[in-house]
Amino acid sequence: MSAAVSARGLVKRYGEIVAVDGIDFEVQSGVCFGFLGPNGAGKTTTMKAVYGLAQVDAGELSVLGLDVRRERREVKARIGVVPQEQNLDRELTVRENLDIQALYHGIPADGRIDELLDFTLLAERADAKPGELSGGMKRRLLIARALVNRPDLVVLDEPTTGLDPQARIAVWGLLERLRSEGVTLLITTHYMEEAERICDRLVIMDEGRIVAGGTPAELLERYGEPNLEGVFLQLTGHGLRE
Amino acid sequence: MIAAELVPSVPAASRVWRRNMRVFSKVWKGALLPQFFDPLFYLLALGFGLGTYLATVNGIPYKQFVGAGLMSSAVMWAASFETTWNIFFKIEETRLYDSVLATPVEVQDVVLAEVAWAATRAVIYGTTFTLIVAIFGLVDSLWAVLTPLFLALGGACFGMLGLTFTSLIKTMDWYSFYYTLFITPLFLFSGIFYPLTRLPDWVHVVAWFTPLYHLVQITRGLVLGPDALSVLGNALWLLVLTSALFVIPVRALRRRLVA
Repeated sequence: MSAAVSARGLVKRYGEIVAVDGIDFEVQSGVCFGFLGPNGAGKTTTMKAVYGLAQVDAGELSVLGLDVRRERREVKARIGVVPQEQNLDRELTVRENLDIQALYHGIPADGRIDELLDFTLLAERADAKPGELSGGMKRRLLIARALVNRPDLVVLDEPTTGLDPQARIAVWGLLERLRSEGVTLLITTHYMEEAERICDRLVIMDEGRIVAGGTPAELLERYGEPNLEGVFLQLTGHGLRE
Repeated sequence: MIAAELVPSVPAASRVWRRNMRVFSKVWKGALLPQFFDPLFYLLALGFGLGTYLATVNGIPYKQFVGAGLMSSAVMWAASFETTWNIFFKIEETRLYDSVLATPVEVQDVVLAEVAWAATRAVIYGTTFTLIVAIFGLVDSLWAVLTPLFLALGGACFGMLGLTFTSLIKTMDWYSFYYTLFITPLFLFSGIFYPLTRLPDWVHVVAWFTPLYHLVQITRGLVLGPDALSVLGNALWLLVLTSALFVIPVRALRRRLVA
């Protein structure tokens, strides 16, 4: 099985601050791979490096077998991005947001848009503007937008943060269906139960470093804890939400 | 900087341009409509108001003199608004470019697209005003049909200037400097309202270094019967400045958006 994402010695600095401090990881195709850690651990920076919106200072990063630094357009043509901050096109309707995404990718929109509106349960709100949507709907639209180009890899940065439990379960449902279709998912979260529920493998990040990695079951067993919360506390000496 | 980070893809840029066109076609009747009237009011107040007392300038009826000049300023204002406030809003507020740059579109494509779009919007406003000037009977030469072409060039130049400034500033406060110390003086001192011919030589030298002066030379030339060489010379000046600036917003926006 080939690696969808492979990072070796990845470093990213913002001035004096070292956001990502020499991390290695490998994501196999078709799995849901999680980055678990508190705010400021370097998760978002790592995601941005993968989808080309952060320029890495050192190390190697290959995405879908391509060098992110030299083959930016090719990489971005084959991935989908669900950012942490909602950046939908406010001037356009739900449907137009998806149409324009197809345009940016230079691919015909045709039936794909209706399919995605159905998939994300937004068909009835197709003519609404993003400002008229609930938080959960906006997140589902961001997911639909990320899927327009039929990506091999979808990067989701905290896809359920700020959502109510029902909306969160709806997002999990979408992610599970994607994974069952063989799409590789790269996801960041600071929710333990989310990581345990949807990730096949995960790494725990703290202060720019990866402190542990494995399947959720392996981690629980290795550290002798009943849940990931305990594993995290044992590894870092502090909780997730501080 | 390597070529891959500098050379734009025209297809990618055209997609960003088409997004802007789509939004514009939805909203122009609202917030953007008043801008069509702006140069018209200047034409009425100065051309037909002041022009009643000031019959001719350099042998040309004053309203005709002013009308041809205002075609240029209409372009300047339209292109400037587009790449200052509007772009800043897209960078900092709606984070639109974060989503665009996560697709195969790159920073240099965005720069090309936004400048081309500013030029398009400038042509829409400038040509509308040119038609109004023609309806008032203030166009003498058939060469005026070429005006949109040069309005596009002028719009690209002011679009590029605005985008360059936008790419370098951190807060919107800086726009008061841009408009008060750059755009407004250009509007007043580029030969739109009075000829520079009888002013001291240093005025001509300063004017030569400003873009609106050259655009006014072009539009006035086309409306009154052009000196082809002068039109082309002024056009070349605008083209050189526009192209020379390209690299600055590309680098600055890349630093800002792809940190």
